[in-house]
Amino acid sequence: MKFIFVLPGENYMVNRVLILVLVALFCACKGFEEGKTIPIDDFFKTQDKAFYHISPDGKSLSYIKLQDKKPNLFVEDLATGKSLQLTHLTEKTLSFYTWTSNDELIYYTRDDSKDRKSDLFVINKDGSKQIQLGSNEKARMDVIENQLIDDKYIIVSSNKRDSSVFDVYRLNVRNGKMDIAAKNPGNITDWITDNKGILKMAIANDGVNKTLMYRENESQPFKAVITNNFKTTLDPVAIAEDQPDVLYAISNVNRDKNALVELDLKTGKEKKILFANDTLNVIEAKYSRAKKKMIFVTCETWKKEKFYLDSTIRVNYNKIDALLPGTEWRVEDKDKLDNVFVVRTFTDKNPGSYYLYFADQNKLRKLADINSSIKEEDMCEMKPISYKSVDGLTINGYLTLPKNKKASNLPLVVLPHDGPKWRNSWGYNADVQFLANRGYAVLQVNYRGSIGYGKTFYAAGFKQLDDKIQEDVNAGVRWLIEQKIVNSKKVAIYGNGFGGYIALNCLYKNPDLYSCGGSNSGVINLFSYFKMIPPFLKSKLQMYYEIVGNPITDTEYVRSASPVFHADRFRAPVFIAQNPKDPHINIAEGIQFIKELQKRGVAVTHIEKEEGPDPIKRQQSRLVMYKALEQFLKDNINRK
Amino acid sequence: MALDKESGYRKNFLLIVTFIVLISILFILSLFLAFNFSKKYIENEFVSEKVNVLEQTIKPYNDFFQIKMPQVSYYSGYLDSASASRFADTTTLKYPFVSKITFYDSEVKNMPVKDGVNSKSFGFGPKNIYQFGKNVSADSIKIYSEENRKSFDVNSDFNPMALQLLSYIGRLDTAKVPGQEELFTNFSVVASNKITYLNIPSFEELKVYKEMLHKKLPQSPVYKLGMFVFQLDPSKIKIINTKPSLFQSIQVQALTYDPINISDENMTTEIALPNAFSNFKLYFISSKDHIKKEIFIYFLPIAMVLLLVYGVLLLIAFLIFRNLNINSKMFKLQYDFVNNLTHEFKTPVSVIKIAGNNIKSATSLSERELGLYGKILDEEADKLNGLMNKLLAFTQIENKAIKLNEEEVNIRDFIESTIESHTLKHPDFNMTYEVAGFKTFITDPVLMGSLFDNLAENAYKYSKPDKKILHISAKLIKGVLVFRFTDKGIGIQSSELNNIFKKFFRIQNEYNQMGSVGLGLAFCKELVNFMQGEITVKSRVGTGTEFKIVLPYNK
Repeated sequence: MKFIFVLPGENYMVNRVLILVLVALFCACKGFEEGKTIPIDDFFKTQDKAFYHISPDGKSLSYIKLQDKKPNLFVEDLATGKSLQLTHLTEKTLSFYTWTSNDELIYYTRDDSKDRKSDLFVINKDGSKQIQLGSNEKARMDVIENQLIDDKYIIVSSNKRDSSVFDVYRLNVRNGKMDIAAKNPGNITDWITDNKGILKMAIANDGVNKTLMYRENESQPFKAVITNNFKTTLDPVAIAEDQPDVLYAISNVNRDKNALVELDLKTGKEKKILFANDTLNVIEAKYSRAKKKMIFVTCETWKKEKFYLDSTIRVNYNKIDALLPGTEWRVEDKDKLDNVFVVRTFTDKNPGSYYLYFADQNKLRKLADINSSIKEEDMCEMKPISYKSVDGLTINGYLTLPKNKKASNLPLVVLPHDGPKWRNSWGYNADVQFLANRGYAVLQVNYRGSIGYGKTFYAAGFKQLDDKIQEDVNAGVRWLIEQKIVNSKKVAIYGNGFGGYIALNCLYKNPDLYSCGGSNSGVINLFSYFKMIPPFLKSKLQMYYEIVGNPITDTEYVRSASPVFHADRFRAPVFIAQNPKDPHINIAEGIQFIKELQKRGVAVTHIEKEEGPDPIKRQQSRLVMYKALEQFLKDNINRK
Repeated sequence: MALDKESGYRKNFLLIVTFIVLISILFILSLFLAFNFSKKYIENEFVSEKVNVLEQTIKPYNDFFQIKMPQVSYYSGYLDSASASRFADTTTLKYPFVSKITFYDSEVKNMPVKDGVNSKSFGFGPKNIYQFGKNVSADSIKIYSEENRKSFDVNSDFNPMALQLLSYIGRLDTAKVPGQEELFTNFSVVASNKITYLNIPSFEELKVYKEMLHKKLPQSPVYKLGMFVFQLDPSKIKIINTKPSLFQSIQVQALTYDPINISDENMTTEIALPNAFSNFKLYFISSKDHIKKEIFIYFLPIAMVLLLVYGVLLLIAFLIFRNLNINSKMFKLQYDFVNNLTHEFKTPVSVIKIAGNNIKSATSLSERELGLYGKILDEEADKLNGLMNKLLAFTQIENKAIKLNEEEVNIRDFIESTIESHTLKHPDFNMTYEVAGFKTFITDPVLMGSLFDNLAENAYKYSKPDKKILHISAKLIKGVLVFRFTDKGIGIQSSELNNIFKKFFRIQNEYNQMGSVGLGLAFCKELVNFMQGEITVKSRVGTGTEFKIVLPYNK
């Protein structure tokens, strides 16, 4: 009796074990198919060689490379391929360098002390004749014009007279003497020279209004040409050489989208439209000193696209296009004769590489990958999408779906971008690829107020951070649920800065939509956000008041728009990453907020980030943060 | 009792009484202990439960102190009279113990202030002062402005906080970000019934303050800071009595409150309030009667359980006693049986012995004597055999050790043969019969005969000499066989009717002085049961008895 009884039981057990093994095998195979899990660090690696520049004659390539954990300057002779290390820094950090002639470079270094004292040097490309032009300067210096004038001067701006304003100086690279070329009355933020190095324009900016100032020659005083509010774009590109008093500028004065125009510097009026289109927004325009004309504009829709204004350039650049198919690329530097180019490429699946392009041979030479750990075939495609907001605006965005998964019923992570004055663009994004690799669909939304979609769309986002901007994000999620791409029970929202602000607000206001949310260095309190801006920058503050909301006149609105005041409304799990040493945020407030959430029974994952200068510590801290985020999403995205 | 002793069967009443007395003592003892335990427990509870009351009562205050008050900092100094008023309103509404809120809309400047505290180029002073609260009239909300500086009181709450801020900034380590606890303690002053709270600026801002302390900054910045003074009223604390059954009344009293006229009728205990209320305590009073009631409520279920256990024990004692009683009766019956049986055997044996003796002592036996002795020996041996057969058959049937030997029987022949054998034995026995509805049936003729014999024998035995009449009727009624044995005998008292089928039972009367062992009817019942039938009896004293046997009809 007993014997008969036991036997089928054992059979059953054997079967069970077999099934388990089969299931495990099946899962393993399936896991393989769906794409492997890539280590977190791989997404974020950056190259150790960078800042490539070509000497004006196109014979030498310079770059900065980490040597003994310090960035140092190298020059390679393109003909022989021989590299030479020019600097041997051990204590100070190389912070900037540029070619001033075919043979000479200037660079300056900074020490790591609190005062950030800087030294300025000129050095020959073969490493000889190093001259120290300045030492232990507390002042900062920016190069305005790096081509040598009279074979000895370059134009720089420096705040050595008054630490809060930058004056313009002629710097003699032979002896380091600086002559003041223009004194800043206090409100000038930018200086522009013409192609001969003559300082002709200044831009005064009080944070809200931007005024272009012009003088015909250096002996005359600057005169205001045109003043625009921060809502309007008027960005100088270059001063024309073939006609007097004309500025090429990207402008949306009296139109919605940015166009490339010629501006009369005497009257402040538009003289001619070089490129304009009702649907295209110009974000960049290139002037060729060799051709003395504007050669192309770049417009950005879901992707950047070049529109040529010169036929030979079109032919030449199309050749580069043919060599780099499917990528977006930009010229980082070129020689004076437009023969040797430093080209940087990227795609949505690849942070890209640096190439050297030789126009005469139509040949590319790869210099370096930005991140060699990234395998394009493992990355996910970033697709442009658009949908209608609740009030009928067209909202653009990007959707990245995990590889080898059916586009239905996926868990979703929404990544609202930071702001103000920001947008998501097509290209490699480590956060997005990391999340997609972990199996989440990732939605990026260019909500109203994002730049690049015209003046009206930008202004539509003003004082809407707590209202319509969040509605735009929610509409995107609802749209994806309607399309059945996304599982309505598995939606998380996460962002940086203002993105974190939007994430927290959306989370507590829409418990039906989001199962959890996170903020990384996010703004949790608008009051303290305004406090980050020093009180003496009153005009700047005014601009933020206009974009975000006025804490003095609309105290109640700003209060209700700040998630920190609504800890009692949070129910879903929250992820908060903060840098406890961040001087710009009120840490006590963040801690208080987390404590209050916890007291009210909200599950909070709190990560303290390290953002010091030490790259190893930074990398470790980043790893901890993303690991925690991965775990947080895994644990909480399934709504109970 | 005499019989008990004789039989050696012990019925120890003393044991049972001792048992009952013992468990009763135990019961009373445990009741007493349970009551004492309840009393101690409730008295302890009275002292320890106050911690819970304090915890619940002080919870809103902790909420206010840890959550609501620090929200002032969230405003980062952007509070104006309207938003401060809103903040104050929500606070006083939610936390009724906050009786008055004074809001100092103040500024940190790089130049001396007229009111407030100055140190070198650092000035911290109020711009406007407002007060909010239930008892603040509308015209006295704004009590200070830069135009109306009269009301500023150097001894007010502002200067101590300002000095504390100044000293904190003075010792601030600009290289290390201060912790939250450090900031909280330095930006709040907790006094008796009053808390001052200054909004905590960011670390960057604090560093600028420190610079301002030493030099004049080129931009001569101005920072807004909001300071609140919360006046607390301990009497407005809502006391949450978590155990009203324990505490009749709970009051907030000054720490020194200790009345001497609290009568002996009351129990009291107290616990101090924390933080800003540290000069006050919760004072608990309950009357002793109230406590007694509580003790009783606590004690009652324990007593019930004890009672239940006690009851169960008593019941068990009773059941044991009853079992003993029944057993002793059984014992007595068996004793009787053996007595009777011995008697029964004794008669034929002594007759056989006499006959044997006579034969042995006689020198010669005549033909007649021989016949007589032979007949006597034969009859007495038959009697013994009959007795033993009866005893044997009964035990067999009782133990279900025999099998039914079924065959077809003609009922008329069967009854006639029974009548014949009995009238042969007792010529004065008048037996009649009737049959209706059937002619033959299937049964075990031996068992059936035994049943008929027994009943006929009984009818003869328990009838007066001139009334020895038995009528047997056999009918098929509704598919079952019904036999009735009706006699005109002495009858059975109704009180005995239940007992007559019991083993060894005999009705004590003149008719059964001899020749009966009390097995007859018990044997009949066993037989009928064995044949899956039923036997019942109806009787009236002096008139007669009727036995009714119902048997299944097998054809």
